[in-house]
Amino acid sequence: MGDSQYSFSLTTFSPSGKLVQIEHALTAVGSGQTSLGIKAANGVVIATEKKLPSILVDETSVQKIQILTPNIGVVYSGMGPDSRVLVRKSRKQAEQYQRLYKEPIPVTQLVRETAAVMQEFTQSGGVRPFGVSLLVAGYDDKGPQLYQVDPSGSYFSWKASAMGKNVSNAKAFLEKRYTDDMEIDDAVHTAILTLKEGVLTPAEIEDYLQEVE
Amino acid sequence: MGMKGNGSNHECSRERVKGEEEAAAELLLCREPIRIMSKGEVDYVHARGGFSFDSCRRNEMLLNKGLKPSSFLKTGTTIVGLIFQDGVILGADTRATEGPIVADKNCEKIHYMAPNIYCCGAGTAADTEAVTDTISSHLKLHRYHTARESRVVTALTLLKSHLFRYQGHVSAALVLGGVDVTGPHLHTIYPHGSTDSLPFATMGSGSLAAMAVFESKYHEGLSRDEGVKLVCEAICSGIFNDLGSGSNVDICVITKGQKEYLRNHLLPNPRTYISSKGYSFSKKT
Repeated sequence: MGDSQYSFSLTTFSPSGKLVQIEHALTAVGSGQTSLGIKAANGVVIATEKKLPSILVDETSVQKIQILTPNIGVVYSGMGPDSRVLVRKSRKQAEQYQRLYKEPIPVTQLVRETAAVMQEFTQSGGVRPFGVSLLVAGYDDKGPQLYQVDPSGSYFSWKASAMGKNVSNAKAFLEKRYTDDMEIDDAVHTAILTLKEGVLTPAEIEDYLQEVE
Repeated sequence: MGMKGNGSNHECSRERVKGEEEAAAELLLCREPIRIMSKGEVDYVHARGGFSFDSCRRNEMLLNKGLKPSSFLKTGTTIVGLIFQDGVILGADTRATEGPIVADKNCEKIHYMAPNIYCCGAGTAADTEAVTDTISSHLKLHRYHTARESRVVTALTLLKSHLFRYQGHVSAALVLGGVDVTGPHLHTIYPHGSTDSLPFATMGSGSLAAMAVFESKYHEGLSRDEGVKLVCEAICSGIFNDLGSGSNVDICVITKGQKEYLRNHLLPNPRTYISSKGYSFSKKT
């Protein structure tokens, strides 16, 4: 593969020191469907709106929230196909870690490895950055954890966060409603109420709230 | 197009497309970063890593010259499996030998493959452990990807391909059993990669002793208790009549949606001490 015309990175610096491709990737994320996560005292909640392009789509075939290990899950905002690739790689890395150390992978380790993959694609030949941000939620011996991983490969630990469309509204709402000693049921309720802010219709909210109760 | 890649350690999904867009498309599909590798590095790094057969050739040469091979932990073993009316029962003894010495009096020979699939292993202990571990990992990733319960034939095919690839050098003889959506299954896998599908099976050095019991007493439609009793009898026959097998009996009962791992179900060889006060030896003895 060395003797090809495309062995240079497509992600190059602009004169102002920014990586424009990554900025564009973040724009792609920002126009994706809203997803959010809330860390409670005894667990983590991740939620997203599953908006299908038409009522004819078989909703059971669409899986926006995926399992990486029995105690780590992930939701994305942005390009679905890109997230599938990352989910697959992360699952494999988690399994390799488990096989090597005979210990379930800690959330931080998995996040770090996923972030490393995303960074690789900003500095390799002939590839583009991933157009997704991931919210990784997990529970290990350090307790409940919530991480956001960006297309650049940077990751942040959050108490509560949102991504995608309407992110400023959602974050403002979360800031008001979040408390450190939330229980998981409160967190689920708050997640649904946050999604309602400009995302769900009142009828849908009624349905969800009824289900939760 | 003729892309001469000597760095074949990329995972690239290539498709035979004609035209110049192809070259661009091929590269865009490439997943690994492109590295300029020196010739020495390329020789050392293998396409997939793992087993290098160079040592095997050298070892054979040394054997021919008369060098005695170092002894490794083998499981001279009795492992059995049978299909009963609700599923599969697997049984194994618990002795691991290193030549004439008992290395482990209570080892575990029934390995986990999937929640609904277990595998008994005879042969070199390290080989059976490693191969069942590897394939169990594979099956787990496959389950995540397909969101379905693993099938016994999947485990079977992964195991036999692995063993065939190593041409019998991975000395693992396995009895694989489980219950999936298509029903209960029981298979034997030989170290070179051939397989059998049977209603009852035995492997290991005690296989003849255990098979004698099965051949005379097995019938279709066994109940769970009858099945467990028969498996215990077969393993005990191996334990008492074969030097390579001994100690205790492990059983695993797998039915649809449920499994019971009965570790040390039977202990026919308890330690009996002559004197609880211990022994005293006079000096100079």
